[in-house]
Amino acid sequence: MFSKDNKLEKFKDAETIIGSSIKVKGNFQGQGDIVIEGFLEGSLKTLASVFIGNQAKIAANIEAKDAIVNGEVHGNIKAKNYLAIGNTAKIFGDLQYGEISIEKGAVINGQLLMLSEDHKKNEKLKDEKIENSVEK
Amino acid sequence: MHVYIYDDYLNNSRYNKIINRIEIRLTDLGLNGKIIRLSGIKNIKGAIQNEIKLGSKTFIAVGNNQTVNKIIGAIINSDIYSDFQKKTLLGIIPVGSDNSIAASFGIKNEEEACNILLARRVEEIDLGLVAGHYFLNQAVIQSSGTVLELNGYSLEVSDRGEVKIINLLSDKNETIKSNPHDGLLDVFIKTGKKNESFLKTKTIKIFNAKHKLIIDNIIEIETPTELSVMKNKINAIVGKNRMFE
Repeated sequence: MFSKDNKLEKFKDAETIIGSSIKVKGNFQGQGDIVIEGFLEGSLKTLASVFIGNQAKIAANIEAKDAIVNGEVHGNIKAKNYLAIGNTAKIFGDLQYGEISIEKGAVINGQLLMLSEDHKKNEKLKDEKIENSVEK
Repeated sequence: MHVYIYDDYLNNSRYNKIINRIEIRLTDLGLNGKIIRLSGIKNIKGAIQNEIKLGSKTFIAVGNNQTVNKIIGAIINSDIYSDFQKKTLLGIIPVGSDNSIAASFGIKNEEEACNILLARRVEEIDLGLVAGHYFLNQAVIQSSGTVLELNGYSLEVSDRGEVKIINLLSDKNETIKSNPHDGLLDVFIKTGKKNESFLKTKTIKIFNAKHKLIIDNIIEIETPTELSVMKNKINAIVGKNRMFE
């Protein structure tokens, strides 16, 4: 879904797109890819990928399989697989990730913690269970 | 047997030629059936329920979006509809303006509509519901000041534009894809050329103190109100050029 320069390759394929004129409050949960270009307050969770645009302002904990962050985030981010942080990103919170890439210029104010292989396996099993229950 | 339901406004003499043309074409195709004129009856539901009891399976709305929605309301609200749901079909012959539902079904004009009735290509389609009104296409409201409440979260739109709750797409040029079989409503917010938001939901509450919600370009509804969707509720006769898979 993501290209090397932290831009969305298939913008239209995302299940949910929140534009820059939209303010979201509450617990936002999804199964598919989510793109946030606006404001979000609460929490954000998906089984797939999250893309945070450079105009976005987030005050929420984020949990996703993959995450790509170019905007401002006040909260913890957990990317079970891959976390990409762009040069316009400002993050005030702790980061948990399977793999990470950080561009020059990004601001991170928090702890960085790489998820262990065992943790990743457990999370994968959990996700598979959730996906199966959703399909049923 | 086919039951053709003519809307009130078709009594206007300017539609005489079109109606004659439709009736001749239907006779040529061997599709003639019973005609019910909405101007002559007060109880559409009773009339349709009676026809279902008598064995009629295909109801054709001759008119516009309003005609279609009136007939859907009458069919769905019939006590016996659920028993006959899989057998009861809805067709459309568009006459005049405000025919976005027919356009979604791939029906351009009355002549093509007759051919589509003959081909009898049937699709199960979801049906939107808001404040006791059914809708096939979409509900639209001005975006400024609109608050949407979905599962556990709310959306506030600050800029001017439009919020569309789409069941069945009526505009081929729209940038989104909508599936009328998925049991979900597509929420599409456009506040500028490049400022578009999109998400899917089963139910949604809408609040706007200034503006009303308009369904299928016809009925205005006060907010706050809640919209929901009923999966595969209508069996529609559609053309091959319909705007959905």
